[in-house]
Formats: sequence, structure tokens, C-alpha cells
Amino acid sequence: MFSRSRRNLACWFALSMGSILVVFAGVVYSIEVKDQLRNFDRELAKKSKAMAAEVQYQLHQGRWQVDLEDVPFLGSNMLPPYNDIVYARWYNPEGKLVQFFGATAPEQLIVNPGFQTIKTSQNQWLRQVTLPVIQDNLLIGYLQVASPMTSIRENLDQTRLSLTLGVPVALGLIGLTGWYLGGLAMKPIRRAYEQLQRFTADASHELRAPLAAVLSNAQVGLLSPVDEDGSQQLHRLENIVEITKSMSVLISNLLFLARHEGSLAPKVLKRIDLVSLLKPLVNEYNAQAVTQNLSLIAHLPEQPVMLNADPELLQQAITNLLNNAFKYTQSGGTVQLQIFTQSHRVIIQVEDNGIGIPAADLPHIFERFYRVDAVRSRQTGGFGLGLSIAQQIVEAHKGRITAKSNFGRGSTFQIELPLRSNF
Amino acid sequence: MVILLVEDDPAQLEPLHAVLSQAGHIVDAVKDGETAQWLVSQKEYDLLILDWMLPTVSGINLCRQYRQTGKSAPVLMLTAKDTTSDKVVGLDAGADDYLVKPVDLIELLARVRALGRRSPLWRGDTLHTADLQLHLTNLTLEREQETIQLSVREFQLMEYLMRHPRQVLSRDQIEQALWEWGTEPESNAVTTLVRRLRQRLQAVGAKDWLETVYGMGYRLNAPSLEQGEQGKG
Repeated sequence: MFSRSRRNLACWFALSMGSILVVFAGVVYSIEVKDQLRNFDRELAKKSKAMAAEVQYQLHQGRWQVDLEDVPFLGSNMLPPYNDIVYARWYNPEGKLVQFFGATAPEQLIVNPGFQTIKTSQNQWLRQVTLPVIQDNLLIGYLQVASPMTSIRENLDQTRLSLTLGVPVALGLIGLTGWYLGGLAMKPIRRAYEQLQRFTADASHELRAPLAAVLSNAQVGLLSPVDEDGSQQLHRLENIVEITKSMSVLISNLLFLARHEGSLAPKVLKRIDLVSLLKPLVNEYNAQAVTQNLSLIAHLPEQPVMLNADPELLQQAITNLLNNAFKYTQSGGTVQLQIFTQSHRVIIQVEDNGIGIPAADLPHIFERFYRVDAVRSRQTGGFGLGLSIAQQIVEAHKGRITAKSNFGRGSTFQIELPLRSNF
Repeated sequence: MVILLVEDDPAQLEPLHAVLSQAGHIVDAVKDGETAQWLVSQKEYDLLILDWMLPTVSGINLCRQYRQTGKSAPVLMLTAKDTTSDKVVGLDAGADDYLVKPVDLIELLARVRALGRRSPLWRGDTLHTADLQLHLTNLTLEREQETIQLSVREFQLMEYLMRHPRQVLSRDQIEQALWEWGTEPESNAVTTLVRRLRQRLQAVGAKDWLETVYGMGYRLNAPSLEQGEQGKG
């Protein structure tokens, strides 16, 4: 699925970028053609004007006469200063051929003044200019000069060659870039998808396991013969009750996660004192610590710490952290609860010297259903949702939750909440 | 049948164990893959029922390794993983059947019977040795129109003997096959059980079929039908 999307993305990218490139190359080429032709025409015009300047129009034996003696190519003794002229022709003002050099010329001037491109029978491209020569406001004739377009053609051939080689290479590069970018774009999508997949797989497993247990307990109860005191049946029913209770906890946790997605509405927040919120919690956990042979040390500030929060949710988050700490600390260990303020935020720390979390698992512990070790949590009866719930609550309060751990030596969970919230 | 059941959730393991035992199977129930791995190397099973997600060694790896050792007993995957690709992976790993939790125990028992039928000795739901028939669904023994009901223990021994006909089975082998892993039979339990089964066999006129091979163990000696020896001894 992902590789197909990536391929699609790369294809569309290559296609759009490729068409832009091809159009661009076409425009560049046509500009180049025009440019080359303009330069060539300018050169040709310069040469033909220089030639025309040599035309003498003078009074000779009482008649005005055109003298082409000094004109390069046309004149008899003039060395041609340019060797790239194929032919030069002189027509009188009536368009009759007077003199020519090079290829045989038509007797009558057949084209209008200006530039023309001609293809000769030898398959040669020529650029021809026909220039009316005017002296003293009098048209004295037409000069027609042609030059081969070899240099232009060579230049353009060169350009075409580099374009035909360059464009496919660039297209290939675009394709590769598209593939790479597609991969880059797919990465977060793939991660989110995998996370969702894992979550649904975990959730389905977690929900099916108790269902399977309930069903098989009930069925065994039905299938087996009733014993005298009914103790077997009683035992099955007790099992079913236990499993159903734990399943109901799981379901309410899941519903909780679904219900409290996103930020909290400002109107549900109350101005509360964190210290007085936590005092009863500390008392409750002190009692539990005694039964578990742990010591709970609470460092609560003397003065109230006021913040805007949903008290029940916040209490739930801290309870989850405390439960976690109690769960993973062996008998004789210590759990510490600390609250202190730092400029604009309050920090709630739950520290234990329990079994800790391996470094490889640390980045995942806030993921739903994530368990550091399946055996351990099954024994301790967790679903791996407590920390995700805590995280979700803290984030809904625009806060941050972090965990540090030293495997085998204990973990520290820290909640940071803004004191003056900008809800 | 001797079944290895691997499931890490005690709430599921216990009722499965109970229902399979009630159906006359000898069930070794373990909670993790490593123990299961060790057990299959120690003991022959007629069927393996494996959960997928297990601590230490997963059910799927267990199945693969079991097949790699060349053992052919059917494997039934019993798991919460329900996608088609999961099933494909499970069956490709060598499982013969795949059931998605939660499973109806009546269906599970039927599947277990179905997988058991693959044994060459099975005909319908009955095991045959000579003209003796052991009905697996209601634990009865039948010969020459006479039918008697066996207790679960007697049935288990009879089934084990019938599955290994004309083979001397040592006391140790019988103990290992009939007593669940981790349970220790009383010193004379096998002897008592053999004596009880002999009485049952006598009741259908199969006297002396269960022979004691002195110093070695026991053997089920069914007279072949062609020789017309039945009822002679």
C-alpha cells in the first residue's frame, strides 16, 4: 500500500516536473534560435551595408552611373574581406540583374527587400538579405548577399544535442528525487498507520482475551456435571466476575482515551489548588504503601499552587503515575512525590527506586497498550493504558510529561503544567 | 489424546484444561513458550494447542521449531489475532488449524476430535484393534455386540495401548503419557489401573489381551481375526 502510494507520488512528481522541464527546454531552445538568427542577421546586414557603402554612384561622361568596381566580390579587383559570402548580386532599380558573384542568379529580382532563408539544391541553408541601396535620396539598385547558415546550424545542433541528452538525465534525476521525497512524505504516514495498526491489534487482543476467558469459564460450567456442593460452578462464576470487572476497567480506560482526545474546553477548567488536591491522595497512598511495605515520601509546598485544570482528570493522571511507581517497586523501596514551581510552570515528580525501564522501551512507554514485558504486566494486572491516559490528560492541559529511567534502579516521571494558563 | 496446551492467561488456561480433561484427554497445560519447548523435546504429544502471543517463545515460533524437528503431531493455533494475514502466517508456520478467540468450547472439542482423526488408527470416532472398538466420544469399549462404559482413566490407558498395539510399553512410558506433566502418580497407580482395565476387557470377553511382559512392561496383544483365535484364551 505504501510503496504504491510512494510510486504514485514519485510518478506524478516526475510527470509534472518533467513537463515543466520539457516546456522550459523548448522555450529556451526557441529563444536560442531567435537569438542566433538575430545575431547572424546583424552580422550579415553589417557586411552587406559595408558592401553597399562601396557602391559608387557618380556622374560619368554626363550620365549618372553605378560603379561597382570597389565593391567586394562584385568588383573586379577587390579582395573579399569576408569569406563566408556564397553569392552577391547587384540589381538595378528596376530589378534587372547587373552583376553577380557566385551561384547563377535569376535575371529579375524576385523577392522583396529583407531577410530570407533559402534552401539550396545542394541541401544547404542560406540566409539571404536584399538591401535597397539609396544614395542622395535616390534608389540606385539592390544588393543581394547570401551567407551559409552553417555556424547557426552547428550551434543549434549543439544546443539540441545537449538538450536531448540533458533533459532525459534531468528527468531521471527528477524521478529519483520524487521517489526520495515520496519516501520522506510516506514516513510519518507510515508511522501513524503502523501505530494505529498496533493499537487495533493490541486492543483487539486485550478485549478478546477476557471475552475468551468469560466464554470458556461459562461453557465449562455448563458442560461439566454439577458437583455436590457446586463449588466448581461457584469457582467459575467467581472467575467470570473477576474477568468481567477487569474488562470493564479496560473498556472504561479505552473510552476515556477516546473521549478526552484533544485539548480541554476552557469552561471545564477550574481554578484549583494543586496542594490541597493532592493531600488526600497522599494519605490514601500512604495507607497502600504500608500494606506493600513501601515508603511514600511527599514533598508538597507550604503555600497553595494555583492553576487552571480539571481536578478529576489531573488527579487521575497523578494517580496513574503513583500506581505505576507502586506496581514496579519492590517491597522495601521508596516512592517520592514532589511538587515545585519554576517561573511559569509547576512540576510534579513521581520518583521510585524500583525495577526501572530498559532504555530501548523508554521511548514507547506512553504508547497505548505498550508493555515493557508481557509477563510482568500480566502478573501486575495492567493493560498498558495508564501512562497513555496520564499523557493525554497532561497534554490536554497544555503540559508535558516525561520519563527518565535507570534500568534496575528506578524511574522518574515528571509532569510540567503551565501555572498561568493561556486557555 | 495427549495434548500440550500453551496459554499464558490463567483465566483462559484453566477452563480449557478442564474441558479437555473432561473429554478424556490428558492435558499438559503450560503458560510460557520455553517450558512448552522443553516439554515437546521430552514427550510425544498427539496434539499441540498453542496461543500466539506467549512470553519467552511465541506460539508461532514454537510451531515452526516443532515442525523443523520433523514432528508431525497436529498443531492448533488458538489466538486473538484474527486478520487473514495472521491466519496465513499461522498456517504457513505449520499449524493444521487456526481458531480465533473467543472460541466456543464445543467447537474446540470438535476440532480437537477432527485433528485426532488424522491418526491412521482412527475410523470415524472409533479406534479399532482386531474386533475391539473404542468409542472416543462416549468412552465406551465394544466387542461382539457387548458394550461397556470405561472411566476416564481406563479410557485413557486403553486409548494409549490401542495407539501402540503389539508394543511393550514400560511403566515409565505409561506414567509419562497418562499423567500430566508435573504430577506424580502413586507408586502402584499404573498396576491398579492395568488391573482395572483387565477386568473391563474380561467383561467384553477379551481376557488376557493385556499381557504383562515381566520386567519390561505391558503389551496389548490382540489376536488377529484371520487366525480365529479370539475368545480362545
